[in-house]
Amino acid sequence: MRHGIVVVVALICLGNTAVVAVAQTDAKSSQSNSKSNPSAATKTSQTDGGKRFQANCGRCHNPPETISPREARAVVRHMRVRAMLSAEDEQLILKFLAP
Amino acid sequence: MVGRVLLALTLILCGLSAASAQSNTPILSGGAGFFSATQGNNTFFQPVVAPVLVVPFGEKWLVESRADLRGFISRENGSTGPYQGQFFGTLEYLQLDYNANSHLTITAGRFLTPFGIFNERISAIWINKFQDAPAMTAIGIAGGYSDGFMLRGALISNDRYVVNYTTYFSTLSTVNKLESERTFGGRLGVFIPSVGLEVGTSYQRKLQDQRMNSFGTHLSWTPSGLPLEVKGEWAHSLSGHGYWIQGGYRLSQLGGSNSAIGRLEPVFRMQQFFRSRQVAGDSLPSTNVRRPEFGLNYYLPREIRLNASYGRQFISQSTDVNVWEFGITYRFLFPLLPGGSK
Repeated sequence: MRHGIVVVVALICLGNTAVVAVAQTDAKSSQSNSKSNPSAATKTSQTDGGKRFQANCGRCHNPPETISPREARAVVRHMRVRAMLSAEDEQLILKFLAP
Repeated sequence: MVGRVLLALTLILCGLSAASAQSNTPILSGGAGFFSATQGNNTFFQPVVAPVLVVPFGEKWLVESRADLRGFISRENGSTGPYQGQFFGTLEYLQLDYNANSHLTITAGRFLTPFGIFNERISAIWINKFQDAPAMTAIGIAGGYSDGFMLRGALISNDRYVVNYTTYFSTLSTVNKLESERTFGGRLGVFIPSVGLEVGTSYQRKLQDQRMNSFGTHLSWTPSGLPLEVKGEWAHSLSGHGYWIQGGYRLSQLGGSNSAIGRLEPVFRMQQFFRSRQVAGDSLPSTNVRRPEFGLNYYLPREIRLNASYGRQFISQSTDVNVWEFGITYRFLFPLLPGGSK
């Protein structure tokens, strides 16, 4: 059983390394696109954030009626763990909750 | 022993709070509620406070905790005699999270056992659309809480699909109020955003006593453009197998979500459990149970929700009973450090 646990943990770490490498490449290309039009990029990220909120958080509960930006940071950090959000989802949802 | 553990945890949390920068304001969130339930001739009341503490620490670390402080008030002899109360406090999770990268969070401490979706995602009193948990959700969660470590995250996340995973190991703990079982398990889910559908599977192996395996599958469907939510689970273990499925439809299409009628949400839940064999301490019904339930939730302003439901519980080798439940919940959220709205 211990060998099984070690193998599972090793596979997850290995998978993560590969996924992070691909994700970093994607992030660099999306950053270079958004630099060409900052205001459009902000609007797009808020719209995307709303979609990501609805898809990840809104599946279980309603959004809070009021939330300040400093509360939003802690809430999104909490939701990153609870809802298994990626770092990109975390940033987009934060922009949606605290634009 | 428990007092020393709680004192140490309190000191750690206070230290973390003080160390947190303004940009990492700790928050106190959670829910409070008052519930009443009548099963047959027995009526009982439950005042509940379930605070959630979240303390970010730097860019990578997070301490989070939830407790459940609950009273249970009932008549002395079930349906007769004076009312008497007992109060219980449960530490549901107290965990340290490290966001290693975009796709991996490492957690240590006490956490909600990730089996299916009920225990982790909708057991909070202000989220659950009914005031109690389906009976079969005791399968695979080993008392609800695990003490150990956990790896979790989104293995793949893009616009077309998300693959999320959780794997954990829990150690045996006999410390009063912090009990847990020695288990190993995990959950894998695939979410398709375009149709709002998630399906997944869970596994747990108990590494003590009867060393039994538990398997489960779950489903969550929230179609875009419709205020509809459907969730369900099926699970199997040595004790038996069972399922629950529930749906809720918020009437927000009639005048908007803030209109008088748009705040109403009819809900339905069906659950069944089929006992295979008696296993000591499995927290499951001792015999077959079936229970259809209908309810109405009403979302008032200021994060207050009223709920009422009626169910009929069919129990093998026993008398069927009506189950009436009424409750009110309040969801709160505020920062723990003084400061402006920024």
